[in-house]
Formats: sequence, C-alpha cells, structure tokens
Amino acid sequence: MGIENYLQGENYMVTSLTKLVNWSRSNSVWPCTFGLACCALEMIASTLADFDISRFGSEVFRPSPRQADLLIVAGTLSKKMSVMVKRIYDQMADPKWVIAMGSCSSCGGVFQSYAVVQGVDQIIPVDVYIPGCPPRPEAVLAGLMKIQEKIRTEKLDQRPDFTG
Amino acid sequence: MSYKNVIQTINKKFPEAVVNECENKGQREITLAKSQFHETMGVLQKNPDLPYDLLIDILGIDYTPRTPRFDLVYVLLSTKDFSRLIVRLKAEEGEEIPSVSSIWHSADWAEREVYDLMGIPFSDHPDLKRILTWKNFEGHPLRKDFPLEGKDFDKPFDPETIEDYT
Amino acid sequence: MTESKKIYLNMGPHHPATHGVLRIELELDGETIVNATPRIGYLHRGIEKLAENRNYQQIIPLTDRLDYASASANNMGYCVTVENLMGIEVPKRAQYLRVIMAEFARIMGHHLWIGTHALDIGAMSVVFYAFRDREMIMDMNEEIAGYRLTPTFFRIGGVAHDATPKFIEMVRDFVKWFPKGLDGYHKLLTENKIWTTRTMDIGTISAEEAVNYGLTGPSLRGSGVAYDLRKAFPYSSYDDFDFQIPVGDKGDVYDRYLVRMEEFSQSLKIIDQAIENLPEGPVNVDNPWIRNPDLDEVQKDISALIRRFMVHVKGPVAPEEEVYTAVEGAKGELGFYLVGDGSEHPFRLKIRSPCFYLASALPRLMIGHMVADAIAIIGSIDVVLGEIDR
Repeated sequence: MGIENYLQGENYMVTSLTKLVNWSRSNSVWPCTFGLACCALEMIASTLADFDISRFGSEVFRPSPRQADLLIVAGTLSKKMSVMVKRIYDQMADPKWVIAMGSCSSCGGVFQSYAVVQGVDQIIPVDVYIPGCPPRPEAVLAGLMKIQEKIRTEKLDQRPDFTG
Repeated sequence: MSYKNVIQTINKKFPEAVVNECENKGQREITLAKSQFHETMGVLQKNPDLPYDLLIDILGIDYTPRTPRFDLVYVLLSTKDFSRLIVRLKAEEGEEIPSVSSIWHSADWAEREVYDLMGIPFSDHPDLKRILTWKNFEGHPLRKDFPLEGKDFDKPFDPETIEDYT
Repeated sequence: MTESKKIYLNMGPHHPATHGVLRIELELDGETIVNATPRIGYLHRGIEKLAENRNYQQIIPLTDRLDYASASANNMGYCVTVENLMGIEVPKRAQYLRVIMAEFARIMGHHLWIGTHALDIGAMSVVFYAFRDREMIMDMNEEIAGYRLTPTFFRIGGVAHDATPKFIEMVRDFVKWFPKGLDGYHKLLTENKIWTTRTMDIGTISAEEAVNYGLTGPSLRGSGVAYDLRKAFPYSSYDDFDFQIPVGDKGDVYDRYLVRMEEFSQSLKIIDQAIENLPEGPVNVDNPWIRNPDLDEVQKDISALIRRFMVHVKGPVAPEEEVYTAVEGAKGELGFYLVGDGSEHPFRLKIRSPCFYLASALPRLMIGHMVADAIAIIGSIDVVLGEIDR
C-alpha cells in the first residue's frame, strides 16, 4: 500500500496540494515529551516493545518543543505548572496539535482542589481528548489515529496559522 | 530502661520542659513546653543512652476553635534500637517556634512545608519560603477555614495570576 | 588575566532526565557544580486536603496515585494505618495476598528505576528489557484487579476479592522466569567498565549524614544502616517469611545500585514463599459494617442490601485517637499520621513521603561534581514526583 498504487500506469500522478501536504504531515507526527504524572508511564509504555508507536510515524519523542509537532499533556496540570505549559505551547512551531491524555488533563480528574487546573483546555486549545485513569496504551494509539484522521481532513487555508 | 534514663536526664537539666508523658496505642509520646524547647530537642538527639538521630516527620494539626489553635507533632526514631518517640508542642496562632534545622537537616524542608500549608512561622530558619504552593498564594490551604476548592473556582483560570520565586 | 564568572543553569521542570516535574537551579563554575537548589511543587494536587472531605474507603484510590511507579505499596501503608486506628484484625489469606501485591509493586518500581537510570547514563537497551518485565506484572495486576497501573485492590479489612487460579499460575510462571531476566541485567551493567567508572565514588554520603538528612530505604541502606521497616516494625505477617536485607558500605551510586539489584531477588523470594504457603480462608474481615456484601447475597437478603448501601455511602467510623504507622515503600519509609474524630472522614491525614527527604538531600550530594554526574545522582536517588508534591 504505497504511493505506487496511485500511479495511473505512467510515472505521474495528479493530486491536490492539500492532500499531499496532509498525507505527509499525518504520517510523521513527532510528539514532545510532556509527561507530568502517572499517565506518563503509560505513554512511555506505548513507545516500547509491546505497543510500538513508531509504526504510526511517531518515531522519536523530541524533548525540545521547537522540533516537535504534537504536545501530549499526560498527567495532572497544577496551577504552578500552567505557566510552563503556556510557554512550551507558544514555543512550538506551526503546525501543531495537542492531545489531552487522561482524565486529569481533560477535566481535572479525581482532584477537584485549590491547586489543580480543571482541564488543560482552559489554557491551550485541545484537539483530541483521551479518557482513562490512566488510559491503556492502546487508547493512546487510538487517540493518535484520531489526530491523523483530523489532519487528513483539514483544509490548508482554514488553519489558524494561515498567513496567505 | 534507657528511655527512662533519657526522661530523667531531661527532667534534671530542664525541670519545666516536659509537660506530659504517656503511651498511646503502643507508641511513646511526650508533650513539651515552649520554653527551652530547642535545648530539649538537642538533648534528645545527642544523649548517650538512646539518641534519637532520625527525624522522621514534622506536621501541624489545626484544632479550631480550641486555643491554643495548633498542635505541632515531631516523630523521632532512634537507629540504636529502632524505637519511635512522638513529641508534641502546642502553638498559638502567629506564635514563632524555634527551628530545629540546626539539629536535624531533614527539618529544613519539613518546616517549610508546615509554614506553607499551615501558616506556623519558624525563627532561625535558613530559608523560610513557600515550597509547595507559589509565591503570591493567599492563605494557608490546610487550615480548617480555607475552602477545599479555593477562591474563584467557577471562573476560568488565568496563568498570568501565578507569580513564583525565580 | 581572565576571571571566571558563575553560570546559572536551570534544569527546568520540563526535562527528559528529571523523572517528572522536578526543577533544579544549578550554579556552575565551568563544569563543576558550586550550588544546587531543588524547587518542587509543580505537581501539588492537595491530596491531604482532599482526604479530609472523603470517607476512609474513598481515599484508597487517592493513595494509589502517590508513588505511581509502584502503586500497591502505598495502598498497603494506608490500609494498615486505618486498621491500626480502628483496631481491625485482617484474616491471614488477605495478608498474604497483600504481601504478594506489595512485593510485585516494589519489583515494578525498581524496574522503572533501572530502566530510566541506565537510559540517562547512556545504556539505552536496558529500558526495553525492563518494560518487558513490567508488562508481565501489569498483566497480573489486570488479571486480579482489572487495572494495569493503579489497581486499587486493597480494602479496609482485607482485599476486594479472592485470587483466581489463573492468577496463581501466572505468579508461579513469573517466579520461574524472573531469575533469568535479572541475570540479563547483571550481565549488561554490573561488571561493565563504563558503568563502574560513571557510578563509583559519585554522590557519596556517610551513614551519620544520611541519618541526619532523613534518608530511608535503599538510599540509607547503601550507606550502611540496616533499617528496613519489614524487619524493624513487622506488619501484615512479614515475620512469617524468611528474607534478608542487603546493606552497602560506601554510600555511592554504585552501592545503591547493588542494594536495589539484590532487593529484586529478595522480593522474589518473599513472593515465592507467599504463593506456595497461601492459607485458605476469607479475604475480608467478618464485621458486618466494614465488609462489602457480595452481589448474590444482596439480591436475596434485605439486610445485606442495607449494609451494602451503608458501606458505600458512609463506611467505617474511626475513634477519636491518633496513630502513626509506616511501611516499607519502594523508595523508603512511607508513613501515615492519621487523626480520627469519631466520624467517617479523617480529621487530619499527613503522608510522610520518603522521596521528599531524598530530594532535600540533593544539594549535599551534588556539590563538587560535574553536570553529567548530577544526572547519575538523580537517577540513583530514584525520586517520583507524585510522592514529593502529593
């Protein structure tokens, strides 16, 4: 199932720029390491032997936000840490997407107290939410596939970072 | 036997220090007075019979509306025969307690946490700042009159309001 | 003549090698560390304040998330404290099942330690093998309790339900297989010249200083003090089992590594003895107001229905007393100071976390070494931020 299936007999192929760009972006989404609490352990488990995430294109987890496309917020966001999340999100280069992994980053989770932000979407815009406490590695892979689906159906001129 | 020697040594040196001594659910407990508190803790750590050299924990309990309001509890352990001792001290609101961080280093962060969460200040502490909450946090969370969800729980959260130690 | 200025380097909370959101401010003179200030609180969730508004049963899932690398060991500490306060006697079969779950949690925590410690120093292949073993233990957690990482399997007065025959078979298979896996880690690291050069004589601390700084657990035993709560204050029938406590002598990173490697085999020995001698009997205490009745009993008997409702809504009630109990968690002495006030909520719950005091000793360990050694020291101390910040 490669690009050869789309060649129409000759060595050329007709497509639109949107489809080509979306296809290449969705198959190489590189996440940024942002494990905060227990969900980080399940995120690490999804990168290792039993549940390999590299087969979906996320080959390496880059520690630097300037080299990553996807921010997976895994764990509870406390109010003291929220300043850092905003800074890291602003440092990422466009195009960028955000996954809120686990109950704590989706809605505050078990911890409804004075020190926890009730959901990371109060600070940065979120594309996909993965429920669970912590979610299984298969659920993380399903969330990644939903992001890939979302990228493939995007229109380039309706992205928020479009400047043309 | 050696525990009784320790209590006798303290009673001889500082006769007013030990207010109460009892045994509760198998653990030894003494209540100290505020005068000569620092010296008594020094004797507890350094005496040759049963030195209590490991400070396990320091915690504060808020007994509103009783006065004195707070109870400071120190949990000590002796590595000679692995026995524990619980030391209590009653404190008023706003009263400064002498710090024991010159006797045990582990008291450094434990006292910062008691100051941050309960609001009990310590004198002679090397660096008394908030440790778990942030610099301009108002109030002390573990007091009984602080609500669980804090102020402004129903309004959306703005990270610009957080200011921390740099 | 050139003069040297000090550099301030911030190992910020977002860093791949700090095992969570730990922030350390380093003051460097060239490459040598002159001063180090750890800053914590980036994962403070207010668990102690939350515990004052919940029933005793409802706090058990909160304690699971303290040291999330080895979740069941924290449950053990909390349940033992509550049973001490209320004067409940746990049946023998439940105690043995608790010991098995707690020792598996310790093995899981140590696997995460060796994987990430070796990864930080540069030996990348160890983390793949360590997580393969962790997956086996998580399969066992899922078999008996339904959840992989945080199985809230413990209840006040015993455990949730009995072990299935498949679980016992999986434990026996793991006990047979694990010595080969442990041998693999030893072959990769213990006699490795690069490993010994990077870990010997780094981060040395003597026994008196370690005791003064409040260290407990493998970090204290690496310096020579044989303090293990399973032998000093035995709980949950640990004195039925025959095991030893490994103790180091110099107190450097290599000694702490050897102590933890030996603890792997001692924990396996305890699990082997527990699963072979598992006694028959009930798995929860017989008190009608504490034990949760089974569903088929509830559907036949009205008093069981009432009791189930009361246990879920209210739960057990504690007397007006205070108690401090500690257990041996994977990182050290995990203690709970519990104050009861006659109602179904605790009046005050204080969690004595071992990693809090380990992190406060970081300046003493790091000063005088270089930046690359600082990473090795943080790895050997094995901090988990969920426990520090609560």
